[in-house]
Amino acid sequence: MATDNQTRANMYRTMVRSRHLDDRLTEQYWVGKTPIFAFGNGPLPGELHTSHGQEPVAAGLCSVLRPEDAMTAAHRPHHLAVARGVDLKRMAAELFGKKAGLSGGRGGHMHIYDAAVNFSSSGIIAEGLGPAAGMALARRMQGQPGIAVGVIGDAAANQGAFHEVLNLIGIYKLPVVIVIEDNKWGVTTHKSASTAIERNSDRAAGYGLVGEFVAGNDADLIREACLRAVERARSGGGGTLLEIETARLQGHFMGDPSAYITDDRKAYQVDPIPRYREKLIAEGVLSEEQAQQIESEEQALVNEAIAFALDAPYPEPEEALEHVFASH
Amino acid sequence: MSNQTNTAADNPGVGDDSSQKGGARIMTCARAQREALEWEMTNDQRVFMLGEDVYGMGGVFGTADGLGAKFGKERILDTPISETGFIGMAAGAAIAGMRPVIELAYIDFIGVCYNALVNYAAKTRYMSGGQLNVPMVLITGTGGGYNNAAQHSQCLHATIAHMPGIKVVCPTNAYDAKGMMHQAIRDDDFVVYMMHKGAAGVGWMGPTVKTTLAEVPSEDYTVPFGKVRVYREGTDVTIVGVGLSVHHALEAADQLAKDGISAEVVDLRSLVPLDREGIMASVAKTGRLIVADEDYMSYGVSGEVIASVVERDPTVLKAPAKRVCVPDVPIPYSRALEQFILPLTGRIAEAARSLF
Amino acid sequence: MASLEIRVPDNLWDDREKTGSIVLWLYAEGASVKEGDVIAEMLYEKATLELPAPASGTLRIGVEAEVPVALGEVIGTIET
Repeated sequence: MATDNQTRANMYRTMVRSRHLDDRLTEQYWVGKTPIFAFGNGPLPGELHTSHGQEPVAAGLCSVLRPEDAMTAAHRPHHLAVARGVDLKRMAAELFGKKAGLSGGRGGHMHIYDAAVNFSSSGIIAEGLGPAAGMALARRMQGQPGIAVGVIGDAAANQGAFHEVLNLIGIYKLPVVIVIEDNKWGVTTHKSASTAIERNSDRAAGYGLVGEFVAGNDADLIREACLRAVERARSGGGGTLLEIETARLQGHFMGDPSAYITDDRKAYQVDPIPRYREKLIAEGVLSEEQAQQIESEEQALVNEAIAFALDAPYPEPEEALEHVFASH
Repeated sequence: MSNQTNTAADNPGVGDDSSQKGGARIMTCARAQREALEWEMTNDQRVFMLGEDVYGMGGVFGTADGLGAKFGKERILDTPISETGFIGMAAGAAIAGMRPVIELAYIDFIGVCYNALVNYAAKTRYMSGGQLNVPMVLITGTGGGYNNAAQHSQCLHATIAHMPGIKVVCPTNAYDAKGMMHQAIRDDDFVVYMMHKGAAGVGWMGPTVKTTLAEVPSEDYTVPFGKVRVYREGTDVTIVGVGLSVHHALEAADQLAKDGISAEVVDLRSLVPLDREGIMASVAKTGRLIVADEDYMSYGVSGEVIASVVERDPTVLKAPAKRVCVPDVPIPYSRALEQFILPLTGRIAEAARSLF
Repeated sequence: MASLEIRVPDNLWDDREKTGSIVLWLYAEGASVKEGDVIAEMLYEKATLELPAPASGTLRIGVEAEVPVALGEVIGTIET
């Protein structure tokens, strides 16, 4: 069944919002880090892994999730957080280390948590998969609706936790969708050099799960595949491993000149957002004016969030000692 | 057989020999721990257990004996050998409102799930700025002395206690075992509950260590974390112990008494939070400190105890503090070798005598 | 006063030729116990097994801990 126009326009909007956020963050990231690069300098210090090029995965996936579903993500979480409906101002504030941030500045860019929308991300490869399975298990034990989604990169499919958790999902028949964002790169190592088979979706069979590969980095195709997977989970059909082809347009992190991406590998590096825009206009889903309207609205929203974050105060140093435990 | 004294109001006395005459029920640590788990599972539907062989075999110490039959496979989950996977899964379930109790048979296996414990479960509350908490309990067996060699005999108290975000307890008698198990499950944070195999009271470790036995009330009760237990009061030297070493210290105290040395035996029982005031109070009284810990010596709990005293007031010490631990060597297999490296009664008593 | 024997149950372990032992009596000599209360822990190979009281009454211990016992052996009595 084809996706309705409103949903497609919303997915475009989500991708534009994500991209604007990543562009503004990139701009802020470089403040203080030139002419000499040092991670600890500037208003947005540390590492930064932006999602340029991967926006369609988030838009398609989150368009089929419900509020009660849980999502865990990894070290490249911005587009997923945005698409999931994480509080944009508080997320921006968190990235700038401000007290008003989602975690009061304790987490930073890789560790984004918004309990209100059941979203969490963390930085060790594949570590979010076990918890996603547990969040699904809990909902089932509690008799509550809701499934869980664990999002990882393709290189994570070689980590032990990936294999253990897929097996657990298989034997306990958990309502979980594992989404691999296949951008073909694990930092500087191409997928062909790290992964013994061509498609990680083929590994699903080894764990008694359905595996599906989605080519093209197109939000519509991604949404349709995600819908199949979540409906399978919701109806008691168990887990799915979705391998979604996407493109990492920038280096692994900000500051990575990515010279290792040789010309022959650049075919993947096509920006999906202008391509989707063209498609929606060609198919009469959006007019040129409507597209521009979306773009200026989202730019304003993102600018507001960044301004909020820049203005917000830092936490008091002693607040570093808070929130280790819930009870004492 | 030493007498066990009452301590402060929140540390009800562990029963001595005379309590049995009244017809009171004594238990081993393992059975007392199980009694608490069974009560919690009966009265709190959020509690469930998972681990290897917990349904089929009741777990390594029989902590889940009979619970599989009572609660079924939906609440006592046998897991594959996938520690990283199922501990991560338990943490996610805890974040989503359940209260999982995970059995990791031996603490030595921490190597295959270290990330899930210390980077994920321990840190999620903090990294989320208090939005999420992880109310899960990891029960695990520690310790050697039965020729199970380097990879199945460790204590690793320091390795776990060192990581911020984990509460760590090591009860050494059946009363504390039950009360701390209740507390661990009711606690809103991630708790690691360590039981020395030799203190658990399972027959296959050899004769039961009598001082681990205690009168255990049949109703539920909690033992709060963060307070030492003074097993035996004394005036000349403080012996602080963890796990089974507490019981070796009690034997050493009996021997020392014959030499005219009055030893005070203090059980840490709670590594995180650590009762630094309790340690200090004892050492300030006696002026001499021995720490008995079956973990490796360097960079460990033993050093932490001494630092707690020296940071507060080094002048209370009349003699250097001494550590009686496993030296920095992997635990050997052969009996003569293993007995040499363990912090047993003889080494503890000798260390104490050397301070006079 | 009647006296009921406490025996090691015939089905407590499989191999009739092998012995187990009592790890621990949970109650002292002369204590009052209720039928079904776990009164002793037994050890057979690697398994620790529970022994319930066959009746309510006063416990009389016949065999101490750590002594090998066989299936069906009398290890104490309950005075009812």
